[in-house]
Amino acid sequence: MAGISERIIDRLKAVNRLIALAMGAGLLLCAAFILAEILVRQLGGSLGGTDEIAGYVMAIVTSWGMAYCLLELGHVRIDFLRGCFASRGRAVLDLICMATLAAVASVIAYKCWPVVERSLVNGSRANTPLETPLALVQVPWFMGWAWFALSAWITLVAATFLVLQSRLKEAESVAGVFAEADAAAREAEAAT
Amino acid sequence: MIGTLSVSLLALLSISLPVGVVLFLLAFGIDQFYSSFPLIRGLGNMVWSSSKSATLIAIPFFVLLGEILVRSGIASRTYSALDRWFSWLPGGLIHANVATATMFSATSGSSVATAATVATVAMPQAERLGYDQRLFSGAIAAGGTLGIMIPPSINLIVYGFLTQTSIPQLFLAGLVPGLLLALAFLVVTALICAIRPDLGGTRRVFPFIDMLKALTELLPIIMLFTLIIGSIYMGWATPTEAAAVGVAGAMLIAALTSGITWKMMEASLLGTIKITAMIMLVVIGASFLNFTLASAGLGRELQDFLGSLGLTPFYTLLVIVAIYVVLGFFIETLSLMVVTIPIVVPLVLELGYDPVWFGILMIVLIEMALITPPVGLNLYVVQGARRSGSMSDVMMGSLPFVFTMGLMVAALIAMPGIALFLPAALQ
Amino acid sequence: ETLSVVGSWSGLPLHKEFEAPFWTEKLPAASGGNIEVELTTHNQMGLGVGDVFRLLGDGVYDVGMTVADYAVADAPELEGLDVPLLALNADDARAMVNAARPMVADIYKDRFNSHVLAIAPYPPQVVFCNAEIGSLDDLQGKKVRASGRMTAIFLEALGAEGVNVSFSEVPGALQRGVVDCAVTGAGSGYSAGWWEVSTHLLPIPLGGWDSVVTAVNMDRWNSLSDADKALIEAEIKTGFEDPAWAVAQDALVNDIACLTGNGECPAGDARNMTLVEVSDADFEKARGILIGEVLPDWAERAGGDWAQRWNASVGETVGVQIAN
Ligand code: NA
Ligand code: NA
Repeated sequence: MAGISERIIDRLKAVNRLIALAMGAGLLLCAAFILAEILVRQLGGSLGGTDEIAGYVMAIVTSWGMAYCLLELGHVRIDFLRGCFASRGRAVLDLICMATLAAVASVIAYKCWPVVERSLVNGSRANTPLETPLALVQVPWFMGWAWFALSAWITLVAATFLVLQSRLKEAESVAGVFAEADAAAREAEAAT
Repeated sequence: MIGTLSVSLLALLSISLPVGVVLFLLAFGIDQFYSSFPLIRGLGNMVWSSSKSATLIAIPFFVLLGEILVRSGIASRTYSALDRWFSWLPGGLIHANVATATMFSATSGSSVATAATVATVAMPQAERLGYDQRLFSGAIAAGGTLGIMIPPSINLIVYGFLTQTSIPQLFLAGLVPGLLLALAFLVVTALICAIRPDLGGTRRVFPFIDMLKALTELLPIIMLFTLIIGSIYMGWATPTEAAAVGVAGAMLIAALTSGITWKMMEASLLGTIKITAMIMLVVIGASFLNFTLASAGLGRELQDFLGSLGLTPFYTLLVIVAIYVVLGFFIETLSLMVVTIPIVVPLVLELGYDPVWFGILMIVLIEMALITPPVGLNLYVVQGARRSGSMSDVMMGSLPFVFTMGLMVAALIAMPGIALFLPAALQ
Repeated sequence: ETLSVVGSWSGLPLHKEFEAPFWTEKLPAASGGNIEVELTTHNQMGLGVGDVFRLLGDGVYDVGMTVADYAVADAPELEGLDVPLLALNADDARAMVNAARPMVADIYKDRFNSHVLAIAPYPPQVVFCNAEIGSLDDLQGKKVRASGRMTAIFLEALGAEGVNVSFSEVPGALQRGVVDCAVTGAGSGYSAGWWEVSTHLLPIPLGGWDSVVTAVNMDRWNSLSDADKALIEAEIKTGFEDPAWAVAQDALVNDIACLTGNGECPAGDARNMTLVEVSDADFEKARGILIGEVLPDWAERAGGDWAQRWNASVGETVGVQIAN
């Protein structure tokens, strides 16, 4: 029977999967918008502002994609030394890494807030014909980083409980290194 | 400072912290110990302005394009078509590995994606046909590196973005060296297998009519390459827009050949978001690290160091190349680029070298880093697809190709025209 | 006292010839070794151009300088400092900047928590075209690469279309017809080889003069002794601002000579772009558009009493009034 830690992680994964799909859909929309711009330009017109909007899409996709990547163990880690440890040693190393990541993600989110705050206070608008209110795009961008930090802390707590219960294999699947081996194997399955 | 930094970098990386996180930690350290200003107050602005980039959105687009090609089966059909054309050479199917990697490089912007694509479709064949696994897998790892040399290339986009160099010019400059490298890989494979036939597999000759039929399977990739690169040089699209055109093209081709399913799109989008976030954490971390390095005066320190050696520009260049080869053993490739570009490129320009040319030279060095142990992403990717045997097989098999890349570096330095004549001719 | 200074684009003459010598040599010498400076530039730090004054206000460094127009996202009223086509030569541009100075000081105090030390010019932003151009009117229907909201609105009113292309991609874009014209400083266009891919040069400041503001963080400024403050203010005027303005007009004339071959080119080989003479009628038309559309639009964006203040200062100097 799955413990509470696993249930929490499964929930978190499901939510992040939905977020990632939404971001993917955003990318597709952005691509469609760029195509439309190319077509309109061939006809001598212009929709205008595709570059600017693509930039905002990139910032938001990036920040909200972070937590999904984390839960899928996608952030590159160099594991040649880690591979030399026994499973308990690996588990401790993984917890240290996850704690560090959670701390760094929190610092990033915390330091991103003043950027949004200033745009809100100044009512800043992009220096472009679109005059995009910066807060409109910076608030979702900031929330993506905050969600990344929160997801990292939740993952850390769940993984710590698993390690304390000596369920190292499960802990590794939550906070370990997703060996490129597994990644390629899954690719292989997906392709057949 | 350079010494402390390098040691901390290696130490933090080796305890398996995520690469992006390591870059942030180094930046925090520099802020704390080497700078009198509160640089961390600039963190939020750096994160915003380095991710809010219309240039970088080409990264998720190219990744998505590759995902669609693999998941729609276009990749495996291309491989079997190239098998018919190349398996008569000494080394047999190994040539199809290189040829498939070359073709995919022309639509993929990433080396890891190219290697993963080819490994996925090729590795099962190696076991079935009784190939020596070393050379077979080494050829995939090395062929995959062409992904960042033959346009389009995510790494060249990042280089152009960071150094304010024209991306279409860089793409043009990478084409000839990329094709030359592919050719060199084929020649090296044939030579090795001519001397040691046991390393290759059976040479197979297919009826000519089969070969002709197989050509139609290559059409999707050729059309896609023409669409992406053509739209840039016809003046229809910027490199970023061309990436969006490529996504549309790949979806159209997938729809026409095997149909687009919801499951396949879902998997492609999820894969894209994961890889994009992975790359961007590294890019953003490197931007912030660069900001702290510049404030702490590392550029000056390095310049003084190279100046104190009293070398001519040529020997200084050789020192820089040597540094890249050594760093390439240990550092993941994109990080290697983004961390070093802001420091090295201004130096190289000051020495009087061309920014487009140096971009291509750096790409060869980065390609080398992809297949040199202990940290060589393509080695891991290919090893992953084998699911048996030892990592050192792949490393051994890659060695002849590392050597070939070394020759390419020498050739680029001796004859810059290899890279520069095409952009010059088309200007 | 050690000041950390972030300069403007490291590759451009303003930094190499004026900023760098002033901060690293003149000021430390004048202070008798009392003031030391650590100098870098925003491009060497990898800063986004819009971040320079934000970070200055946050106290990341002590002194920052960059083009005022880069900061208008945070302060739309700042656009009034540098209106395109109102000042045609360096003397007029300086008079305009001096008139705007009290407004600029208030804006930097309120928006960026900083104190303005100097305003120096980049060469005016002129127009390179790869198309037959005989007058301002001929820009109608052309695709023009320009930056800045005011210039974009002006182009739109002319019937031209603004296109966003990054600086390094401009030559390719001009050559392939992605854009017909592009705006940048005459000197930058010369050294970046834009003359290879364009035929006609319109030597009018369509993008304004690109004033570079030097400002110091307010808290840091208040922490300095009165003697130091007085020294810096006096030195920066005579050692940086005055010499930078003094060469501005000659630099423009030289750069145009280099591009068109209509005179001596000190920077290298002269090229042979066609110099387009802009008629008085063109300027009348430009003023009409400014008064009729661009400036009222700005007044609304800036809000407050900025339009009145502008009328009473800059407007008086250049003879243009924004209707209320
Ligand atoms: Na490629
Ligand atoms: Na390596």
